[in-house]
Amino acid sequence: MDRDHVRSEVKQLLVTGLRLQIPAAEIADDVPIFGEGLGLDSIDALELVVLVEEQFRVSIPDEDVGRKALASVNALVDFILAERAA
Amino acid sequence: MSAAGKRVLVTGGSRGIGRATALAFARAGNAVGFNYSRSEDDAEATETLAALRATGVPSFASCADVCDAAAVTQLFAEARDALGGAVDVLVNNAAVAQDAPLMMMKDESWDRVLDVDLRGAFLCCRAVLRGMIASRWGRIVNVVSPAAFVGQEGAANYAAAKAGLLGLTKSLAREVARFGITVNAVSPGLIETRLVDEMQGERRKEIERQIPLARLGTPEEIADVIVFVASPAASYMTGSTVHVDGGLAMR
Repeated sequence: MDRDHVRSEVKQLLVTGLRLQIPAAEIADDVPIFGEGLGLDSIDALELVVLVEEQFRVSIPDEDVGRKALASVNALVDFILAERAA
Repeated sequence: MSAAGKRVLVTGGSRGIGRATALAFARAGNAVGFNYSRSEDDAEATETLAALRATGVPSFASCADVCDAAAVTQLFAEARDALGGAVDVLVNNAAVAQDAPLMMMKDESWDRVLDVDLRGAFLCCRAVLRGMIASRWGRIVNVVSPAAFVGQEGAANYAAAKAGLLGLTKSLAREVARFGITVNAVSPGLIETRLVDEMQGERRKEIERQIPLARLGTPEEIADVIVFVASPAASYMTGSTVHVDGGLAMR
């Protein structure tokens, strides 16, 4: 699956799944998803974990994996591609 | 009043409060599963399952130890298959007691009680949350004890586990409130169950004398409150404890 496609799916998921008030196209690839970046908190992360696991059929089992995988859009895309290649 | 049409899992459901709770949910029209841990519970589990089936709702039973993470994962996968979807209502009822004055308490007694009564609830909560967040609705009811509030001689392990479960209840209630999931505790007092029967005679009588309603409760009296806490009627309640103890603790 190609990187650009996954990236746009991830951004769309952030907007629709987490009800962000900005268009998907305006989310920068390297902006932190949580904290200052998109203004989401560690509890929003729970919902993102569930949405990502469901849509991309990957597993984010714990905090350690989650922290890395959900650091930014780029990090999440890398994680999804790596998990799918595994 | 009941949360009909939900998928319910009751831990430690083969007898006592767990069995009464499973049956109360089934009679209210919910699909109900339960687990039980020891092979010696097989006969009781079979009996409970038959009673559930007789109500006509989807039901299942599984022998699974709640302190075994792999077994818990397996249990909830089985529940999903048997009940027709992810569990909407979790009742953490499984508990053991191994009493001794603290000075004489064995390491194993401390560990076992903390494992089943506290870690087991943690593992089961963790196993259901993904499904509840996905459906943006869920009810978790943790069965605690007056021991969590007022302590209990000879049961420091049990009291510590149940007080810990209260801390879990309140913390998790805060974490998942925004997803439409409520987490509450029900605190049964002295109830006619085997766990209480195992208590020594003198201490039991002494406690009975301290109950304002002057009698033990029945498992059904607890089950009704647990079903209520999981129902739409209790939708604005989270992180709370309902004391169903004949006035024992009066918190």
